[in-house]
This record gives sequence, C-alpha cells and structure tokens, in this order.
Amino acid sequence: MTNSEQIKIINDTINKTRTNLKPLSFNLIFWGIFINIMSLIHYVFPEFIQQTYYSSALYWILLPMFGMIYMTRWNIKKYTEIGYSTTLNRAIKIIWGVFGFGWLMIVLVSMYEGINPVPDILFLLGLVIIMTGMIIKFKPLTSGGMVLFIFIFALHQNPDQNFLIVNMIGVTLGLLIPGIMLNKMKCNE
Amino acid sequence: MNKDLEKLLFNPVRLKILSFLLTVESASFKKLMEVSNATKGNISIQIKKLEDSNFIKIQKKFENNYPLTSCKITSKGKKSFELFFESLKAYKQD
Repeated sequence: MTNSEQIKIINDTINKTRTNLKPLSFNLIFWGIFINIMSLIHYVFPEFIQQTYYSSALYWILLPMFGMIYMTRWNIKKYTEIGYSTTLNRAIKIIWGVFGFGWLMIVLVSMYEGINPVPDILFLLGLVIIMTGMIIKFKPLTSGGMVLFIFIFALHQNPDQNFLIVNMIGVTLGLLIPGIMLNKMKCNE
Repeated sequence: MNKDLEKLLFNPVRLKILSFLLTVESASFKKLMEVSNATKGNISIQIKKLEDSNFIKIQKKFENNYPLTSCKITSKGKKSFELFFESLKAYKQD
C-alpha cells in the first residue's frame, strides 16, 4: 500500500462519517405532540386537571417525567442501532439533559413559590432550541427558538393571556414544525 | 516515522478502523464491520491488535441479553494517528 493509497483510505473513511440528525427530529416531534396534547387536555378539562393545586402540578410533572423516561430509552436504543455517536451528538445530548434538569428545577421552585412556570420553561426551551439550531446549523430550529422568545415577551407584556394556548402555539412553532422540517431533510450534516 | 506505528497502520482494515474512530465518540463492532468491509473474525483480530498497542479501548457490555462491543480511540491513538497522517503527507510532498 502506497502513501497516496493510505491517505485516500483515511480521507474516504472520514468523509463517510455523518452525524445522524433523525433521532433529534423524532425527539422534537415527540415533545411537540406530547406537550400539545397535555396542554389541550388541560385546556378542555380544567376542572379535572385543577381539582386541587397539587393535581395540576403533578399532571405537569409526572406525565413529562414518563415522557422523559420513554424518550431516554428510545434514544439509547436508536443510537445502539446506528452504531456510533459523534461529538455533535454528545453536545446535543448534554444540552437537552441540562434542559431536563432545569425544567424540573423550574417546576419544583414554581410549585413551592406558587407561581406559573410556563414563561420560565418557555424561556429555557427557547434558549436550548436556539443553541441546538446554531450547533447543527439548522435555521428553522434557530428561528423557532427566537419565535418562542417573542411569545415570552408577549406573555410578559400581557400576563392575562391564556398560558395553555401560548404554550401550545410556542411549542408548535418552536419544536413541532422545526422537528418535522428536520425530519424531512434528506441530507444530514 | 515510528516503525511500529507504520507497521500497525499498514493494514487497510486497521487504518480504516482508526480513521473512523478518530471522527466519532465511539463505534459499535457492527459499525466497524460496515466501515471496514471486513469479516467478524478479521475485525476481532485487528481491534485486539489496536487495543494491545493502547490505540483504542474496547468496551463490552450486554444489552437485552446480547453482547455489545464498542470501541473508542485513546488519546495516545489520536496523537499517534495525527503524527502518522502528517508524516504521510510529508512523504507525499517529497
């Protein structure tokens, strides 16, 4: 094997490596649908969800926790199937792991303080979406995060708006639509 | 160039394995088979040789009762590979 052949093998092998972004798109779609359904159920049956102060808090803690456990298992299975993980995948995993922890902290502190957690959660979500969009260089995701920031600003200006509707629109624009667009993308970086 | 390293990476399967592991965090045995177009037996031998030279780390675990082998490049492997690649380019330019 000559030096040129060795260089060619190295270049060809390195060029074959692609970061598979399909699992990320499924995660975005899953959470987009999941949170929308939860918000819709809460919106349609408020007397059921808000039977007591704690029933509503438990609804918004326990169900997403089950979602997190399900998606963590799904991600482990998916990456085992793919067979490799890049540094980019690791960075995305860390960012969303920190989001999960932050989300839990916000919900617990809000419950303790008796305040609405939606604006803080949307702010954190917007931040993480913008970071992810910039890391994977996917403009619709970055834009989705920015739209979430506009919604948070609107909520701040007019706190009388229905938080569940704002949540649904924000999650649709920030997670669901960019997730579907990322899923439809043919070539991943 | 380090003669041992040169000898080790003269094998195309080992060269492909190390090139791939350089670009990823870790890779499964199955993926390495796909990347290098080598058989199970051949891959087993080659990754053992790379591990013996401390270029890669092999991790074995069980997932749903199935053995799962994954490989990761070590910092020694990264440095040696970079040196090897630089010297290859230098030879080519000469």
